Amino acid sequence: MSGFEATRPIPGTGSTGAGTGLAPPEWGGFDPARTRGRAGDVLRSFKTSTRLGWQMEANWTDPLLFFIYSVAKPVSSALILVFMLGVIGGGGNPEYRAFVVIGSALWSFVLSGISGLAWSVLDDRERYRMLKYVYVSPSDFLIVLLGRGVARVAVGGMGALITLGVGVAVLGVPFDIGAVNWPLFAIVMVLGLVSIIAIGVMLAAICLQTRQESWSYPEAVGGSLFLVSGAIFPILVLPSVVQAIGLLTPLSWWIEGVRQSLFPGGITSIGGTGSLFEMLTGQAAPDAGQIVLALLAAGTVTTLLSIAVFRASDRRAKDRGLLDQTTGS
Amino acid sequence: MSTAFVYRATASPQEAAVWTRRQILMTDLRTIVGRAYPRVRGMAREKSWVFFEVLLPFLATSAFVFVYRALQAPPEYIGFVVLGGAMTAFWLNVIWMMAQQLWWEKSQGNLELYFAAPMNIMSVLFGMAFGGFIMASTRAAAVLVVATVVYQVAFAIDQWILLIAVFFLTLAALYGLGMVLASLFLMWGREAWHLTQLLVEPVYFVSGLNFPVARLGMLGSLAIAILPLAVGLDAMRQLAFADSAYPLGTPGPAVEALILVAMTVVFTLLARWTLKTLERRARQEGRLSVRWQ
Repeated sequence: MSGFEATRPIPGTGSTGAGTGLAPPEWGGFDPARTRGRAGDVLRSFKTSTRLGWQMEANWTDPLLFFIYSVAKPVSSALILVFMLGVIGGGGNPEYRAFVVIGSALWSFVLSGISGLAWSVLDDRERYRMLKYVYVSPSDFLIVLLGRGVARVAVGGMGALITLGVGVAVLGVPFDIGAVNWPLFAIVMVLGLVSIIAIGVMLAAICLQTRQESWSYPEAVGGSLFLVSGAIFPILVLPSVVQAIGLLTPLSWWIEGVRQSLFPGGITSIGGTGSLFEMLTGQAAPDAGQIVLALLAAGTVTTLLSIAVFRASDRRAKDRGLLDQTTGS
Repeated sequence: MSTAFVYRATASPQEAAVWTRRQILMTDLRTIVGRAYPRVRGMAREKSWVFFEVLLPFLATSAFVFVYRALQAPPEYIGFVVLGGAMTAFWLNVIWMMAQQLWWEKSQGNLELYFAAPMNIMSVLFGMAFGGFIMASTRAAAVLVVATVVYQVAFAIDQWILLIAVFFLTLAALYGLGMVLASLFLMWGREAWHLTQLLVEPVYFVSGLNFPVARLGMLGSLAIAILPLAVGLDAMRQLAFADSAYPLGTPGPAVEALILVAMTVVFTLLARWTLKTLERRARQEGRLSVRWQ
């Protein structure tokens, strides 16, 4: 008798199904597809890990302290830049202020998205020592990581929204809700968030290989992308080579897209007189179609690259026994 | 024999447990070296820090340099940003590797071993601070040197000795504050993790990391009174860019050096007191070995 044959009575047949060789029993038997997971299983894993991520982010304190914690960082970042403008005398120009406030508000999304995924790996491996158990569970590891990261993106989104609100209400950023290009805003937000999560997956893959001190790596990576993405100054002040790197980064196009959708006709971070973009296209600033296309292309490449890096890191981690390694200093 | 642990015949275990001053001193010194060792040695074992903690912070500092360039700011402001960028290495080290370290050790299961070992727990904190200082110094020096060369920062220093004294006093006060936070975070538990993140950008802002803190008015004065990063950075900027038109509103560097001395003493004593108090409370409440809370 095969070990895969049913040995318990089949409802309604009175038979155990034994004695029929390797053929599946009438009730269908064990479905090997279940080991691979279905769309419903993937969704359940994602929802569970998202809920877990949110609980871990938010259940340590009362809502007021959580709110302060969530907004203090992005608001402070914006204030640093606003004071820098004020010190030099550019604070009087509301367009500059809008430029830096939007850039720093959006950056809280970037930092949250990147760090959420990377810290999930470090949290589970180094602190809670659960990574190996999560890894051997039937859920796809990448789906679990994505779910955990979503919670931090939500916190970052809240911070970004509040920073924009503070910018408009307190810092004198001119905002006309009637002038907003909502379709462009919706498209670039979706594409941009996918790109941010893709960068986060890449960093999670790196943190799978490194030790406990990697807590500060997302901040470091975010800081370096800050330079080339035109978040707080137009990239035309950078050398052409660095401008080219900026044009290849999806974050640059995302930030430009959000800026152009919320403040149409405002200062461009990509173009400008003498910029590499102007030299390549002959235009002073990209239009909405160019922004979406460039973001789509750069985002697709980044996403594919991140999956490849994650899979390679995953294999190496298994090969070298890094999944249950804890480190310290 | 050079070791402090010389065998001596004793009448009872109680008598054997009575240590000489030399034994106590040597044990505490060994503790400092032992706790600093993994931090210093770890730099050679995990090479990725060169990329992630030297190159990338340099790029982050560069972003603020380019903000000033885009605004056509006077050249000394680029120097202010470079100096601030270098000092962030110490602040990040203090909050990530000092402030939350004891809580982290508790979560790892090492804390009860620290308390059970025959050593002064302050030695552990000093060892952490010393190792962290070595780690952060290499990073800060790399950022400072590279950024100074790349952005052609011109320092104008008249009082070298005072500048060096202010630098070391800033570090002493910073790590003193780190020791206080380490004790507090041990008690706050999981909130400490989140508070660590809260102590980055807001502290950068009130410390005037990228602009003279005097521009913050009353808030800047308050920061100078309580934050070593704010007062140290302000004093170093005044001394390193002596020829620039520095905004008025903060004390002179000599006065700020005295503030740093006072901070160092206060923070070290406060760390000792909080550690003792919180250790006693944690023992009473049975929280020394409770993990992940």
